[in-house]
Amino acid sequence: MSILNVPPERPDPSLPEVGLISDTVDVAPIAPAPEGEAALEGEAAVAAGILPATKPRSAFRRGLEVFLENKLAVTGVVILVAMVLFCFVGPHVYYGNTTAVNFAQETLPPGAGHPLGTDSNGNDVLARLMTSGQISLEVGIAAAILATVLGVMWGAIAGYFGGALDAVMMRIVDAVLSIPVLFLLLVVVSLVTPTEQVLIVVIAAVSWLTTARLVRGEALSLRVRDYVQAMKVMGGGSTRAVTRHIAPNAIGTIMVNLTFQVADAIAFIVALSYLGLGIRPPQQDWGAMLSNGVQYVSDSYWWLILPAGACIIIVITAILWIGEGLRDAVEVRLQRR
Amino acid sequence: MMKFRSKAIVGLALVVASITALAACSSSSSSSPGAAASSGTPVAGGTATWAELPASTPNYIFPFDSSAYISVTNSSQFQFLMYRPLYWFGNGGSPTLNQSLSLADPPTFSGNNVTITLKPYKWSNGTSVTAQDVMFWLNMEQAVGATDYGAYTGFPTTVVKNIKAVSPTELTMTLDKPVSQSWLLYNDLSQITPMPAAWDRTASGPSSCATTVSDCTAVYQYLDAQSKNLSGYVSSPLWSIVDGPWKLSAFNADGHVTFVPNTAYSGPVKPKLAQFQEVPFTTDAAEYDVLQSQSSSSKLDVGYIPPQDVPAKPADAAVGPNPLSSHGYTLSPLYTWGINYYVVNFQSSVSDHAAIIKQLYFRQALAYLMNQAAVIAGPLKGYGTLTVGPVGNNPPTQWLSQQGKAGDPYPYNPGKAKSLLTSHGWTVVAGGATTCTNPSLCGPGITQGTALSFNFPYASGSAWINAEMTQLQSNALALGIKLNLEPKPFNQVTALAAGNCTVAKIPCNWDLANWGGGWSFAPDYQPTGETLFMCGSIANSGGYCSSTNDAYIDKTLTSSDLNNMYTWQDYLAPQLPFMWQPNAAYLLSEITTSLHGVLPQETTLNLTPENWYFVK
Amino acid sequence: MTVFIVRRALQAIVVLLIVTMFTFALLRAIPGNVAVAIMGPGAYRDPAAIKLFDSTYGFDKPWYSQYLLWLGHLAQGNLGYSWNLNQSVASLLANRLLKSVVLVGISTILALIIAIPIGVIQAVRRNKFIDHFFNGTSTVFYATPSFLLGLLLILIFAIKFPIFPAEGPQGNGLGAILSDFNALILPIATLTLITVALFSRYMRSSVLDNLTEDYVRTAKAKGASERRILYRHVLRNSLIPIATLLGLSLPGILSGALITEAVFNYPGMGLLFYQQAQKQDYPTLLGITVVVAVATVVGSLLADITYAVLDPRVRYT
Repeated sequence: MSILNVPPERPDPSLPEVGLISDTVDVAPIAPAPEGEAALEGEAAVAAGILPATKPRSAFRRGLEVFLENKLAVTGVVILVAMVLFCFVGPHVYYGNTTAVNFAQETLPPGAGHPLGTDSNGNDVLARLMTSGQISLEVGIAAAILATVLGVMWGAIAGYFGGALDAVMMRIVDAVLSIPVLFLLLVVVSLVTPTEQVLIVVIAAVSWLTTARLVRGEALSLRVRDYVQAMKVMGGGSTRAVTRHIAPNAIGTIMVNLTFQVADAIAFIVALSYLGLGIRPPQQDWGAMLSNGVQYVSDSYWWLILPAGACIIIVITAILWIGEGLRDAVEVRLQRR
Repeated sequence: MMKFRSKAIVGLALVVASITALAACSSSSSSSPGAAASSGTPVAGGTATWAELPASTPNYIFPFDSSAYISVTNSSQFQFLMYRPLYWFGNGGSPTLNQSLSLADPPTFSGNNVTITLKPYKWSNGTSVTAQDVMFWLNMEQAVGATDYGAYTGFPTTVVKNIKAVSPTELTMTLDKPVSQSWLLYNDLSQITPMPAAWDRTASGPSSCATTVSDCTAVYQYLDAQSKNLSGYVSSPLWSIVDGPWKLSAFNADGHVTFVPNTAYSGPVKPKLAQFQEVPFTTDAAEYDVLQSQSSSSKLDVGYIPPQDVPAKPADAAVGPNPLSSHGYTLSPLYTWGINYYVVNFQSSVSDHAAIIKQLYFRQALAYLMNQAAVIAGPLKGYGTLTVGPVGNNPPTQWLSQQGKAGDPYPYNPGKAKSLLTSHGWTVVAGGATTCTNPSLCGPGITQGTALSFNFPYASGSAWINAEMTQLQSNALALGIKLNLEPKPFNQVTALAAGNCTVAKIPCNWDLANWGGGWSFAPDYQPTGETLFMCGSIANSGGYCSSTNDAYIDKTLTSSDLNNMYTWQDYLAPQLPFMWQPNAAYLLSEITTSLHGVLPQETTLNLTPENWYFVK
Repeated sequence: MTVFIVRRALQAIVVLLIVTMFTFALLRAIPGNVAVAIMGPGAYRDPAAIKLFDSTYGFDKPWYSQYLLWLGHLAQGNLGYSWNLNQSVASLLANRLLKSVVLVGISTILALIIAIPIGVIQAVRRNKFIDHFFNGTSTVFYATPSFLLGLLLILIFAIKFPIFPAEGPQGNGLGAILSDFNALILPIATLTLITVALFSRYMRSSVLDNLTEDYVRTAKAKGASERRILYRHVLRNSLIPIATLLGLSLPGILSGALITEAVFNYPGMGLLFYQQAQKQDYPTLLGITVVVAVATVVGSLLADITYAVLDPRVRYT
């Protein structure tokens, strides 16, 4: 199982202000700097009194601009939107046999009536790809959202209160992490029918842990950040601290984490289908299509492997690019406007 | 400003392209079916390597297997190489008695007396195989068989009495009621494996189970405990006493087993190989990968090809094209002597489903929806046979009736299925929910408005079962019957449905179930039906019960007259106590062309590498 | 620091107890008769045997007394006995654990050795071609399902061009496995490629984070050279999340890589768990859970300690 989203469990001691980076020779600029602009800009420049104060753009707009400049992220969005259209709108445009079993038509190569051939049940691969994609995307996104909601609540409480409560809550996270996921799944599968809803809950149940760790780390670090301390010294309430500083940062990180969770959830359901613990027939997701197809890898039935495999890889890649674009966009330190 | 870099896409394209290129390039070179074996001069010696079935490794050496350990892997493919059963079954592909390989002559009957005469066989420690060794096994069976012998049928206690070893080579027993002679031999005496006197001991020293039944419990526990020490199999002074053609030279719990010839073997066929090796595999895909790409560290002489990788076999041929013939392999399908079926629960506790299942017309409708022929031609690629009733038809034996030879009693016919339902008070809604609108026609216990919706756990992990179940579900849905498929691990399905739920006192909350393997007739080689079909039998999975059927079965047990077998199976096959389904090939063996003597393979699945030899 | 370690260790033991208890309860939640499930498909033939089995092994008792019994055995070092495989759990684990540790351990270390320089290069040459190249390939490898990657590698390097064997080393024992190292190459490659993708992204992100730190600016102002900054300060701090990642990888090393093991015929812990879970082999499953739980807790502890040691700015409340 992926541990992509497990952050180092540390408070982030860095300062929240714009870090000034020198543009000296070998160190590449780490922000997408518009060419030709001087090093000192934006808030720092205002603070230094060099430039006249202009109307500050909101964090959201800044982030959006950074995101849109990241070509990979934009490509990712385009790909994802295209995939969603393909899976959800496609079946209304292209009609193929996805249910009736017809062994006389099994494993036909692409040809008349079947642009991507047929699978081992005689179903049209292209049509199946669309309906399977619906399930993969739905489960991935829903599981990630559910996991994020759970994780945020858990981690925020643990990180905010700290102390014994934090210790107990994090040890519970440790405990649940220690239970082999596979085992949990086998128990669940033997107890209930693994419908889409069940799979969403199960995947969320094992993914929320990393989000909880992440958010707890953020909450912990934000508590000790200098500016929060400074605010307290200056008499500012914690509400102001939370809403003006903590929340925007945390939300950004959470959004990024959510994106990676989607990628992980989709990868997870693929692995589940390979192990036979995924969605029940006659429904299939991309993972089930792919794991059925790889049985034929020695027989050159590429249409059973390539389309589903490509869809999985492309969608996960697109989501990863989006996630990275988001991460760049929310990194406050990287914003130089 | 960042310029758009397309390099990130490069990686993606590479992977995607390589899949296409390689999948297209790895074309299966289908060549002539069954490349002719190279005739050449036999060479003595050599090591032959045989692939074990996926995730099946031998783990019990004591040839008195309890339920946990009784399996083809342990008995036919491991123990029998070293410890020969008294009677050997498997004769040129037919599951009949093989007199030359048996340790005793066929039993002789005179009145109520049965006499077994042993041939002169020796154990590897020099002692002879005596009638006492047979008594040893029979006594142990009497003492602990009910709880500790996995294939226990009541023999010898309920079948014979006064078992005596009258001389070192002669054993007699008395029948207390008339029994069919063939049944006694094929289904009861077939269970016996003589054990050497050196095993007749406990930890503290020699015992006398061979003469005193009450000593056998302790001896069994001792031998069972010894059998739990897997690392000690090779060095053990007990297990190294063998009467079969082979003895162990290396054994690893992970499944790597090496045999060397037992030079003291008294039987007619002596090993020609210097070594015989069994090697384990996690999945059949992994084994197929090795078969295609052999290296110095992994060679396979007898392996198997997964069904999905073999090209379809023409209907009238025995063997189809072989993708591995260019690698020097011959394809040979191996079938089990048995029948295959999925079970319907006459004792289902789910609402009124039991009442529906008890109706013959309903089972007939279901049977008409099962397209055995299409499953064989499709997912099984032609390597399967129809199951026609309670008696196996591959190979066709003397026990198969004319009606059985005629084929599937319910060939695929959705029209007939529909008319059966409509004529019995059901309103058929294609693709929807068929309900009972006339309970008086539907049957007793069926309420108005009941829908035909059943839960259906089946064993996951087998591609053809998946396909077959999906097809059945789809065919049924066309008549408004909902089969709610639930793929589960094999063990869970058998735990749930293999035993008669009322007799075994386990929950009855399942309607239909399919573990995919049916039943193989070993050691009950004659398919007489008392184990599977009699009222109250624990292996009668669905709980089918008919006094007519019981009476017919009784006749087959008490007389060898073949007509009894025919009458019984002709009655039972259309009654659908189980729902017959295609019998897939046990294995699609791939045999290296330089290895001869492997064919014909036995449908009893007994492994006989003493027949094998390499040629130059 | 000592107080911290002791406290965490105590917490760890509590965690272990909770985990094993939960696992035990879950196992008992699976419907069906345990004896029938464990004793195999033929068990139904012997209702007397089932009864004997249940009473011998206490399956007719409630699960908490069963649990205490097992816990007692564990305290004496007895991990129980696997009926299905006819071996003691301890010997089973010893054999399989070794295989998994060799495979996943080597892959993880190799991934680390490859990923760290890649991450650094990517961060330093951010948004240049090399960054995008590594980014692209690591993304693709990360997104590829492991069974697909493994099968492709076998197809190319074992079947099309018979360079490596198609299955992992078949021997048992460290010597036997390592002497057939040729056979380990493909499985290690499969795991490493996917792990490198993960580690290098972390490394890159971490180095980037550190490049923007105040201390970098300070060091520059003091006249330190770029290289000195990079190696003395940035690298050391960037390794902190990697250290954490390693600690968190420990459970994975011990629990094996199920799919890779299945594809390459290399039965390790992952495959053992999967196959025995399907057979409800309680003792084996509990044994594996204990091992993995210990690894998780120890790994987590090590990660926290390493972090505290490497970064003195951290305060633990």
